[in-house]
Amino acid sequence: MARIRKIEIANFRGIQRLAWCPAPGINCLIGPGDSGKSSVLDAIDLCLGARRNVQFSDADFFGLDITSPISITLTLGGLDDAMRTLESYGAFLRAFDATTGAVEDEPSVDAEVVLCLNLTVASDLEPSWTLVSERAAQQGIVKTLAWKDRVALAPTRIGAFANFNLGWQRGSVLNRVSEERADASAALVKAARDARSAFGDQAEQQLGEALGIVTDTAQELGVNIGAKAKALLDSHSVSFGGGTISLHNESGIPLRGLGVGSTRLLVAGLQRQAAGKASIVLSDELEYGLEPHRIARFLGSLGAKEDAAPLQVFLTTHSPVALRELSGGQLFVLRHSPQGHEACLVGAGNGIQSTIRLYPEAFLAGSVVVCEGASEIGLLRGLDLFSLDQGGVSLAALGVALIDCGGGDPDRPYARAAAFQTLGYRVMVLRDDDKKPTPAIEQAFVESGGAIVAYRAGRALEDELFGSLTPDACKKLITYANELHGDLIIEHLRTASNNTLTFQQVWDEIQNTGALAAERRAILGQAARIRKAGWFKSISWMEDVARTIVAPDLPHCNPGFRALMDQVFGWAANGPR
Amino acid sequence: MGPVEIDLRAINRGTVTAPAGCGKTQLIAHALAGHRGSKPILVLTHTNAGVAALRGRLDRAGVPTSAYRLSTIDGWAIRLISVFPGRSAHNPEILQLAAPARDYPAIRDAAWRLLQAGHISEVLKASYAHLIVDEYQDCSVPQHHIVYFLSLILPTCVLGDPMQAIFGFRGNTLVDWNQQVCAHFPVVGELTTPWRWRNAGAEALGQWLLEARGVLAAGQSVDLRSGPPKHVTWMQALPPNDHAQRLAAARAVPPTADARVLIIADSRNRAAQQNFASQIPGASTVEAVDLRDLIAFANGFDERSFDALGQLLALAQSVMTNLGVPEFTRRLGSLQRGTARNPPSVAESCALAFAQSPSLSGAAELLSALRAQPNVRVYRPAILYGVLKALRDASSGTVSLAEAARRVREENRLLGRPLPKRAVGSTLLLKGLEAEVVVLMNTEGMSAQHLYVAMTRGSMKLVVCSANPTVG
Repeated sequence: MARIRKIEIANFRGIQRLAWCPAPGINCLIGPGDSGKSSVLDAIDLCLGARRNVQFSDADFFGLDITSPISITLTLGGLDDAMRTLESYGAFLRAFDATTGAVEDEPSVDAEVVLCLNLTVASDLEPSWTLVSERAAQQGIVKTLAWKDRVALAPTRIGAFANFNLGWQRGSVLNRVSEERADASAALVKAARDARSAFGDQAEQQLGEALGIVTDTAQELGVNIGAKAKALLDSHSVSFGGGTISLHNESGIPLRGLGVGSTRLLVAGLQRQAAGKASIVLSDELEYGLEPHRIARFLGSLGAKEDAAPLQVFLTTHSPVALRELSGGQLFVLRHSPQGHEACLVGAGNGIQSTIRLYPEAFLAGSVVVCEGASEIGLLRGLDLFSLDQGGVSLAALGVALIDCGGGDPDRPYARAAAFQTLGYRVMVLRDDDKKPTPAIEQAFVESGGAIVAYRAGRALEDELFGSLTPDACKKLITYANELHGDLIIEHLRTASNNTLTFQQVWDEIQNTGALAAERRAILGQAARIRKAGWFKSISWMEDVARTIVAPDLPHCNPGFRALMDQVFGWAANGPR
Repeated sequence: MGPVEIDLRAINRGTVTAPAGCGKTQLIAHALAGHRGSKPILVLTHTNAGVAALRGRLDRAGVPTSAYRLSTIDGWAIRLISVFPGRSAHNPEILQLAAPARDYPAIRDAAWRLLQAGHISEVLKASYAHLIVDEYQDCSVPQHHIVYFLSLILPTCVLGDPMQAIFGFRGNTLVDWNQQVCAHFPVVGELTTPWRWRNAGAEALGQWLLEARGVLAAGQSVDLRSGPPKHVTWMQALPPNDHAQRLAAARAVPPTADARVLIIADSRNRAAQQNFASQIPGASTVEAVDLRDLIAFANGFDERSFDALGQLLALAQSVMTNLGVPEFTRRLGSLQRGTARNPPSVAESCALAFAQSPSLSGAAELLSALRAQPNVRVYRPAILYGVLKALRDASSGTVSLAEAARRVREENRLLGRPLPKRAVGSTLLLKGLEAEVVVLMNTEGMSAQHLYVAMTRGSMKLVVCSANPTVG
């Protein structure tokens, strides 16, 4: 079954240059908006689709520069025997090395036999499709795919208007599901005749006056129309065009009337049935019109969960639900790079698969903050919600996603962050400082452009909170913890202070001095983060704390802590949108 | 023809031994006609004439052209390496065939090396369902290498007959049938029904020839007197009357009005062949496809040179009988001097006109006029008509005579040659051709293979001139 082994695009719409070797099965392109995902799908469709006429305009050229021709080259493998014979395309058969992605001009013993199909559009806007090989060019041989082969290779596009495929129109997937064809022409001609005779002379009674005038005038002028003019159903108006046969349900209602989602789902399923004949499918915004559970069925019917991919599918999505259904081997991040565009395989390394499941949004954002644990997530969410309440712009709106590393090994956030970095995302790590990461790992992260916000010397989040907030806010923290955990926190304070400090003493100090000494703050911090019993150790607790206590207190608290938070939100605001 | 004995398509790797006239071509046609499936069968043979003959047979048998691809081994090799020049890494100049003796061996070597390297095995598997090679005994060693490596990629069946291997000359070593062919392509069958003779109503002759083939293959002599007397005639030819005896044998009367007679003379002696043709009533020569005498004349003829007329008359004499060139030359002399009493004939006028103002068209007119004279008989029509066509093509001045002659030769090569009703040639020239009667003028010095090929050319009657009744 035919597969696209390599896609090379030059000067097409937003893409100046792209070379990409897609997977043989599902290829879901993700990346920030306007990164060119849909252009890649269009490029495949234009190059490989079986259309005789395609309209191009100046706007299809990169940067509107019509002096640099649009060039789209698809390297096609998995070819039917008929397409790799000596006679058919001998001088154009080439070799594709799957490990290096290199194309050699002639077949090779340990590489796949491929054809390279190129679509070039120059300033005259005339598309020209040709097969590419150096030796053919040298010998002056020009050839393109035979029409029957183009029809066979043509991708099926499951677009927003998939109901095109629910009738037997030319190019419809129904024509590929089986070889059967209905011939309606004779029946239609008969129907037209029957309609004419059934309608009969009805018109004559309704149009008597006009007919009388026509008859008189014709007779006066000597135009021979017989005894009198008649009004009959015009046979032309009861003729039907082709493609008049379409799918209907049991009660005769056209399936065209199905919802967008159902239509797309059905067409995807039919495409799967036709995989033996046409094996390439394109679907832009795959989630369009589909409820979450139907996204899973849609992807399933395209073979997303199968080891031997029945179809090669090119998708784009902005749906976290869709991402969750896919594996890292099926996802490609498309983005600009200094060399043009690149499509990077998300892959399955560095715990990325679990990240896809837990934080699919992160892959759809431009910037990612890797948080050491749930507390950091809660903190940032709470601060974000407060800022939103104040009329600020949310992190989500800024294209920033938060992901949780679940604590543990202090190097873990960097492994996760590196995975995102190699995919081209902007990455920040927010970590505590009680357990320090390996300096070399952190160094490498920074050198690759990563940003780090760490709590100050040796501190965890609870240390920062009790160490930095105003005494009033500290009181609120204790009150909140008391509401959550009751008298348990008294035990925690006793343990942390070796029986030297009680809440009453804390209360008294704040009451009397309007301040809280650094030693007491430190003990409170320790008490709040006792292992397995952290006062705020859950995303929702910390989120609530941050939103109601920390955020309002930030303008008044220790400037060092405020600076850390400003650093996070400043970085978030400076990302590409 | 009757039932087919062997299904070639069922053979994965093997040889079918195919004695002459036993339905080999029919077998191929049957295999191709029965072929269903999207990929064609590749059929290779040796000569363009062989391709043309096979194509004709397949067309007549109604075999759809989509079922097969037919080519010469060399033609296919040229196509193969030109499609993959990088993998073949041959010198591109060899494809120009400027020096065939050097270029063909280089092409064959490049082709089998390309096949051996394996880069295009997938392409070939995708291209063809099966390989059938005809006339395998005529394969040179490099051609056998090509087929050998192809057989590692495609199911391959070769057909041939070691008793018909007569094309081994110096520089063209044929593949060794037992050591090379049968070792790699085990013999899976042998055709045993003499269809050619059965269809001609002479099955006894066919059976006897199959027996004779066995005798010759064993290195023994065949006694011509053991043949069915109705079909086999031995005529003794002994000096000093042997030439006359041979000429008498060559007048053998064909059994039916439109039957043809092949007269096989010494392969190595063209002059003797031409001499026979000029002396046997109604006979004409079969010429080698290189039409050497046509090319030589065209290369050497200059209508403005002083002996241009002499060259034309010499050519005419070498292709026609009863011209009376000495008398003709004497008449021209007296006509030019004005001493002739009789007015000039048409031919003489043409000669005078040519002498006056020489031109290529004038030369053609002269040759035509000479041919039209009473009692004149053309015995080398291929040369004469080739020269005439070349002269006319070149007379417009757009091409040289030499070039025009080359084109005529290439055209003939592709079109094949019509067989004269009484044709004089040799085993090499007449192999693949057949007639109702064959006359062997001289068996001396003929190898067993030459003898077998010669004896099997006639479907109804065999006449042999030799000193002894046992030959081979």
